[in-house]
Amino acid sequence: MLPSYLTMAAILFCIGLYGALVKRNAVIVLLSIELMLNAVNLNLVAFSKYGVVPALTGQIFSLFTITVAAAEAAVGVAILIALFRSRGTVQVDEYDEMKR
Amino acid sequence: MEIYTKAAWIIPLLPLAAFLLLTALGRSYRRAGVLIGTAGALAAFLLSLLVLIGRLGETAVDYSKAFDWITIGDYTLRIGFEVTNLTSMMLVVVTLVSLLVNIYSAGYMKSDERITVFYGYVSLFTFSMLGLVLSDNLLSLYIFWELVGVCSFLLVGFWYARPAAKAAAKKAFIVTRIGDAGLLVAILLLFWYMPDHRLEFTMIQSVFDGPSGAITTELSTLIALLIFLGAVGKSGQFPLHVWLPDAMEGPTPISALIHAATMVAAGVFLIARTYDIFLDSAAAMQTVAYIGGFTAIFAATIALAQNDIKRILAYSTVSQLGYMMMALGLGSLTGGIFHLFTHAFFKALLFLGAGSIIHAVHTQNIQEMGGLGSKMRVTAWTFGIGALALSGIPPLSGFWSKDLILSVALQENKLLFIVGVAAAFCTALYMARLFFLVFMGKPRSSLGGAHESPSVMTIPLMVLAALAVVAGFVETPWNGALGSWLSGGIAEEAHSSGIAIIASIAVGVLGIYLGWLIYVKGSVSRSIVSDKAPWLVMLLERKYFIDECYERILVKPLKGLGTLLMALDSYVIGGAVRLVSAAADSAGKAAVRLQNGQVQTYGIAALLGLVVIVLAIVGRRFWS
Amino acid sequence: MSILPDIPILSFILLSPLLGLLVILFLPKHSGNLLKTAAVIATLIPLALSLWLYADYDKQQSGAVYEEQLDWVEVPLNKELHSDVSAFTFKLQYELGVDGLSLPLLLLTGLVTAMAALGAFHVKKRWKAFFVWFLLLEFAMLGVFLARDVFLFFVFFELTLVAMYFLIGIWGFYNRERAANQFLIYNGLGSAIMLIAFVILVNTAGFRVEQIGEQVQYVYSGSYADIIRNMTDAGAMVNQPAVNEMGALNPFVMSDTMHRTLFIMLLVAFGIKLPIFPFHTWMLKVHAEAPPAVVMIHSGILLKMGAYGLLRFGLLLFPEQAKSWAAVLAVLGVINILYGAVLAFRQMELRLVLAYSSMSHMGIVLLGLAAFNEIGLQGAIFQLVSHGLISALLFLIVGSLYERTGTTELTELGGLARSLPFTSGALLAAGLASLGLPGLSGFVGELLALLGLFESMRWLAAIAVLGVILTAVYVLRSVLKITFGPLPDKYAALKDARLIEAVPMIVLLAFIVLLGCYPSLLTDTVQYSIGDVFAQLLATRAGG
Repeated sequence: MLPSYLTMAAILFCIGLYGALVKRNAVIVLLSIELMLNAVNLNLVAFSKYGVVPALTGQIFSLFTITVAAAEAAVGVAILIALFRSRGTVQVDEYDEMKR
Repeated sequence: MEIYTKAAWIIPLLPLAAFLLLTALGRSYRRAGVLIGTAGALAAFLLSLLVLIGRLGETAVDYSKAFDWITIGDYTLRIGFEVTNLTSMMLVVVTLVSLLVNIYSAGYMKSDERITVFYGYVSLFTFSMLGLVLSDNLLSLYIFWELVGVCSFLLVGFWYARPAAKAAAKKAFIVTRIGDAGLLVAILLLFWYMPDHRLEFTMIQSVFDGPSGAITTELSTLIALLIFLGAVGKSGQFPLHVWLPDAMEGPTPISALIHAATMVAAGVFLIARTYDIFLDSAAAMQTVAYIGGFTAIFAATIALAQNDIKRILAYSTVSQLGYMMMALGLGSLTGGIFHLFTHAFFKALLFLGAGSIIHAVHTQNIQEMGGLGSKMRVTAWTFGIGALALSGIPPLSGFWSKDLILSVALQENKLLFIVGVAAAFCTALYMARLFFLVFMGKPRSSLGGAHESPSVMTIPLMVLAALAVVAGFVETPWNGALGSWLSGGIAEEAHSSGIAIIASIAVGVLGIYLGWLIYVKGSVSRSIVSDKAPWLVMLLERKYFIDECYERILVKPLKGLGTLLMALDSYVIGGAVRLVSAAADSAGKAAVRLQNGQVQTYGIAALLGLVVIVLAIVGRRFWS
Repeated sequence: MSILPDIPILSFILLSPLLGLLVILFLPKHSGNLLKTAAVIATLIPLALSLWLYADYDKQQSGAVYEEQLDWVEVPLNKELHSDVSAFTFKLQYELGVDGLSLPLLLLTGLVTAMAALGAFHVKKRWKAFFVWFLLLEFAMLGVFLARDVFLFFVFFELTLVAMYFLIGIWGFYNRERAANQFLIYNGLGSAIMLIAFVILVNTAGFRVEQIGEQVQYVYSGSYADIIRNMTDAGAMVNQPAVNEMGALNPFVMSDTMHRTLFIMLLVAFGIKLPIFPFHTWMLKVHAEAPPAVVMIHSGILLKMGAYGLLRFGLLLFPEQAKSWAAVLAVLGVINILYGAVLAFRQMELRLVLAYSSMSHMGIVLLGLAAFNEIGLQGAIFQLVSHGLISALLFLIVGSLYERTGTTELTELGGLARSLPFTSGALLAAGLASLGLPGLSGFVGELLALLGLFESMRWLAAIAVLGVILTAVYVLRSVLKITFGPLPDKYAALKDARLIEAVPMIVLLAFIVLLGCYPSLLTDTVQYSIGDVFAQLLATRAGG
């Protein structure tokens, strides 16, 4: 069973990675990051059930991740709104503050 | 008398001490300079004379002593001195001419402000030349060989402010240096091939003389030719003769000492010292003989068309050195050395006489002279003796030595005999031309102030004239004294050949007579040749365009190569350096462009980096 | 036996310039004469001490006779990796020593630096800073020749770059800053390569086992003695196969490829310094732009550091690789000689003539190294010392000429023998020494190097002899252009060398004559002390 879970997670991760690197809309980028996190969670759960040494730790850890991800999404969206207010756009390529 | 032989190493040190003292004193002590220089030469001459007298007996044993100069592992380079009959003879010739030139210069250089420096250089030269003569091995000979070269350079360029002197000094050094490079390679070769890496002349003799088989004939040909290259440079043989006529830019006493009597004869001396190598190789002997013969006739013809008194004598020196080389190449060591011996006296005499003339008339162009015979009697008489000796008129010294060489040539090689006779004819002709144009004819009004030189200059002339008369009697057709003495008691058969004697007297007289007809009596027009064949005269006046050839073949291409390499250096190598720095620069600029503030670009870069690392880690399994 | 008691003479020599530096720091900035005097005295101390050392040096002893050692930095490593040791450390050591190879160069450093300090009369600004950097440079150079630890060597080697950078960049001629930058970058690159090579060397060959009573200690260090022992001992771990017959891994293994790579790295690193064609362009700029007193040191000593490093680390540590690369070295040497000579012949600027001439003369050193026999190596070392003296003398004279005429362009100069007889005489003598006149030191180095090379590579040596002719051509061309010929009116009123200029010229000339007439003074010292190292080298040659 493990390979199918892992494959599923890898596909999810790649979609997330693609979105995070390529999409110009900041909201979509945030969503893509969530997607990658979920792929990781899927891996954790899968290994905790079918890994070489199955243990509950993995599932508990994924719960942590989900919690933290929720908090992170909240902070991310808050920053996004603040940015939108100051710059008037959600296009990522116009956020080039780091250059200065 | 043995003690003098053992103390021979002191002889070179005396002029060296004079040189050091003169250098330390500086140029303000003018009289002291003359005295110290002359005293050094006199002391060296007396000691040399004692050494020679001690060796005149039949039982004289060669004596040599050396010390280790550099010791590296199993290899040792030595410096030492050796007294043989040949070296003792050379010692006396060198110190005697040096002494006379020292005395003569007191008059000739009297008004020069750097007379102390002059005496210093002359003393240094005498030291180096004596060191060269006394050396017991090739390496120490090479050391002194270079030192005499540099002294010659310094003295040729003595009047450094004159551009011609500067050019001549440079040319003298560089052209002889080409020959020196050959000698150096010969020494390197010998060092590795000689048993025990010994370079002593005695060892060379024993190795090459016997059938030891240590060195093949091809190798000895190579070594002999390389040594000969050194001799060609120093002794002004074709094609490296070009520096010697130019070297006449130096003060005239120097031309007498260095460029007539001693240093230019060093090439002949070198071949004589390493004669066994040459004897081992017939090809090398032939080369020496033909080069010598060719130089003899070649330089003699050039001398016919020159107008500068010193240049005529210089080409004459080249020609006579060619005779010596020819004799050596034909297998007559005695002939070469004998001619060296007599030539040293009469050519030094001629140069000093020329100096006396130049001192009086302040020109070197013989066309501007004339009728000096009545005003400068001593100079005219002594010069005449020298000219007759050089032309080979019996019983003067030049006759005996030239006759010996021609006799050998007649026996060994008819072609070279004809060349030698022809050169002897040219010699007589150009000397007659020189003598008649300078001393006979009507006195020129422009030379009204000409008068005899002071006695300090004429006494050396008289001494040398006496020697030019008698020096030939050490070896005559009926008395092979010099030859048997030089070869250590083995009596060489006295060469005498009626044809050679008659031929050499005949061409000598004929040459002088023709000169008399042209330049005194006027019954043969002076322009007889230039009317019929102007190209020939031009060819001779321009010295067969040898200098121009060198300019085209060597100097221009070297300059071109220099320009080419300079372009290479600044564009290709400098360009490569600039390319590297430009590459580093543009890499930096590219990295700056990546830094565009877009988080997503950074993300892609990070991703790509990760991919590369993963691939590298995974790929390593397949690679090793 | 040595008459020196147990005083750390090497440290005295090394640290005495720093003492002078300290004194100078407390002197007022504007009193130029005081500063110069202090600097000259400060340079005389190491000169006197190294002369004493040279005289006292016991020639019969082989190897380093004087040695000093202190632990400098000690880094504990994870000793759990080895079960049976009490300590496992990485040490950087302060380790000094001299042998016949470094002693002549040490003395040369003392001599040339002292003469350069005397010759620094033309420095017109910021004397204090000049002499501070100058003494720091001397400290670093002494350190390079004294160091017996590769890291210490590297530190001193780098320190010379820093000091030189400022000396060129502040006191040089018009393009000084460019020259300084190029110098720093080019040599920094070489140093980086050298550092990588040294780190690899220490990681493999710099390992030793120390036994103190019962306790066994494993130590990694840069000690040269350890490295050369490990590198040349066939039984050392470095020379064992990667996996021994028991199947255990050998952590110290150095494969053949690695041997070769390291040798090439060292060749490049030191070849830049030497400089070997085509890494020579930086040197031209330094010669042309740096102040003459600094070029005296640069051409006289810093170039020698390259050859010294190549000999000590390249040849002695990697004899087999050096042997198989000997032909390459010889070809490079011949290229250096001829290329430098031909280009020197075409330059119109005296300093560039001398720069290319340095390149040409360093080619002779390469020939000596490539000869791979005792005569050749001796010739290389002799040439190092001899060229150090000659080029120092030449640049001393360049400084004097420039101070008087304001130019060193050959087209501008002429006839100076009339108004400057002493300086011109010295220039002529230096030129003659440079073209290898017997009786002066240049000849001996040339002769020995060619003699050595002639045994193994006859044709190359014969081609190199061409360089003898070309050297005469370019030396005479430039020297005669300056001293001979008619004197231009503008130079008629020049004054000849003052005593302070004449003294260093005479001293250098005296050493040149001394070595030229009595070369055993140098060759014997080299011979007795590292004869056995050479013998080992030659044994490698016989076996390999």
